[in-house]
Amino acid sequence: MLVENMKMAFSAIRANKMRSFLTMLGIIIGIGSVIAIVSIGDTMKSAFEGIYKDIGVTQAYLYIGYWVDDVRQSDYFTLDEMERVKEVFGDEIAYIDCSSYTSADAVNGKTTVKFSFNGIDYNYPEVQPINLIYGRFLNEGDILGRRKNVVMDTISANNLFGVENAVGKTFRTTLYGNADEYTVVGIYRKEQGPLQAMMMGANTEGGEAYLPYTILTWPNDYFYNLHIYAADEEHMDEFYHRLKTYVAKIKDRKPEDFRLNTVKDEMGSVSGMLGGMAMAVGGIAAISLLVGGIGIMNIMLVSVTERTREIGIRKSLGARTRDVLVQFLTESAILSACGGIAGTMLGGGLVKIGGMAMGIPTVIRPGVVLLAVGFSAMVGVFFGIYPASKAAKKDPIEALRYE
Amino acid sequence: MRQGKQNGERRSFGRKGQLPDYMTENICEDLIRLEDMVKIYDTGVLKVLGLKRINLTIHRGEFVAIMGQSGSGKSTLMNILGCLDRPTIGHYYLDGVDVAAMNPDQLSLIRNRKIGFVFQSFNLISRTSALKNVELPMTYARKSKKFREERARVLLERVGLGKRADHMPNELSGGQRQRVAIARALANEPPLLLADEPTGNLDTAASVEIMELFSQLHKEGTTVVVVTHEEEIAAFTERIIRFRDGQIVSDCPNVPRECGEERKTDASVKAEAAQKGDEALC
Repeated sequence: MLVENMKMAFSAIRANKMRSFLTMLGIIIGIGSVIAIVSIGDTMKSAFEGIYKDIGVTQAYLYIGYWVDDVRQSDYFTLDEMERVKEVFGDEIAYIDCSSYTSADAVNGKTTVKFSFNGIDYNYPEVQPINLIYGRFLNEGDILGRRKNVVMDTISANNLFGVENAVGKTFRTTLYGNADEYTVVGIYRKEQGPLQAMMMGANTEGGEAYLPYTILTWPNDYFYNLHIYAADEEHMDEFYHRLKTYVAKIKDRKPEDFRLNTVKDEMGSVSGMLGGMAMAVGGIAAISLLVGGIGIMNIMLVSVTERTREIGIRKSLGARTRDVLVQFLTESAILSACGGIAGTMLGGGLVKIGGMAMGIPTVIRPGVVLLAVGFSAMVGVFFGIYPASKAAKKDPIEALRYE
Repeated sequence: MRQGKQNGERRSFGRKGQLPDYMTENICEDLIRLEDMVKIYDTGVLKVLGLKRINLTIHRGEFVAIMGQSGSGKSTLMNILGCLDRPTIGHYYLDGVDVAAMNPDQLSLIRNRKIGFVFQSFNLISRTSALKNVELPMTYARKSKKFREERARVLLERVGLGKRADHMPNELSGGQRQRVAIARALANEPPLLLADEPTGNLDTAASVEIMELFSQLHKEGTTVVVVTHEEEIAAFTERIIRFRDGQIVSDCPNVPRECGEERKTDASVKAEAAQKGDEALC
């Protein structure tokens, strides 16, 4: 019986192709936009997760909370304190620096490029993948000896020297008032996805370089934050809690006064933001589904009136009230579900095409597709109830007489 | 016969998937029995008397014509005999079961199993093949697909349309469409075949074809009731019941064909017939 009803429904939908299509349009647009938005959200999420994986999910910044009113100089960090933390936690810390950073003009003959300099430790590549293609990375000797060696990426090298392989070349720059000559010891290639480039900004004009943190720091300096990579991702929350408590203790502060900014938290907030966006657009899509559903109800009412005679014939042949009801409900459900399937293909297709155009791998969850099609069928059933019950209640004699 | 009345007192539907008792008992020699049946139409403003105290019995295996001008009440009678409508007062026993008190779904079931309809305008479902049209009553009887298809082909073969099974109604001639409708009416082997002006939309040759088909079905044992206003059509039947103003004015066997026509114009006999109701004989 169900199969028969479905066959009848398809035949009725085919009989009025244009009308059926126009009726479905509301559902197509509704479901299409739901699928598109959810898939864009999923794609962004997976892209963000990829980026954070690249930059290391175990990293965190520790600094005095912005909500603390009576900030003292001792709330900032010294190199000695960094060393103490390093000693106390030992192997639990994969990497630590004081995120020393400055920017300055790098000069090579007549070429001047604005550079940003990151002071790092020699073991930085252990926590952060760096695709070194020429020369070497900074070593322990560079750090301890405060050697004026730098490592930069290919784009920066190109901007400053006009070649990618700039190993051995020198440039002049003035850091914190000290003008000096620096030597390039290594060149790496930045691996940036298009989405990453879009969000972080591709560096096409300026330059970036790593140099020993010892060049950018002096023993009596105070630093705003500690930059740490936990060794163990699984227990990092517990580790960071202990770290915060320890730092608060040596600073004579409460642990709540310090802020620990982990990438994991940031990932969570990005996910939350994307989730909120999806909710908002989902609401709009729900309205379009409502409008689509009303369109279906409208056309089903027309269809029921048009087919009054058919209903009369069916009843005279023994169709019961429920048989007619189920027939028309099936028809509106199928009409709506067809719209749902078409909408899924439209939305999914747009996302796929967009993804291909931007070179981003897209994520379309089968669960979402199933849910969308199922929901559209439900919309069809819901908005089909009134027309179908109208059909089912028709008096057979009147219906048979209807022209 | 009184037994039938008791059996037919309102019975509820049986358990799911099972036919209620009144559907399984095909026991009555009187297939149709109307007792003091009155139909009143309530149009809201005024009440119109459609049928006035009809008493009528049609036996199993009869071939009956119901004749009358339009407005004579024959269509109303047809609707009631076909269980599309219920009498306002009185009883209608179909195969011993009083259908006067049944609800719409019970009536649907009765129509499905006990009555085969043939309409003036064929009433085939458009965009649906002849085969599917014939299958329809069996679909509502919840028969299996295999059974439906096999039986529908047999039935189409029987009405001479074996080769047209997959044609759509609009690809068939009027006579062919009516034969599909007859095949459909026979689908669930109903004891009663009700034809409402079955030749009204057909030319003479097709009309004769259809009536011959009815005659043949009658010979095979089906009870056939034809509503018509054409004498030529009524001539095929064995009993003619004439209606006027919601009453039976004559009811006679169709052996000497002239009999009915004489009676029709004879006012005295008409009055007598009205008095005697369905007992009236030529």
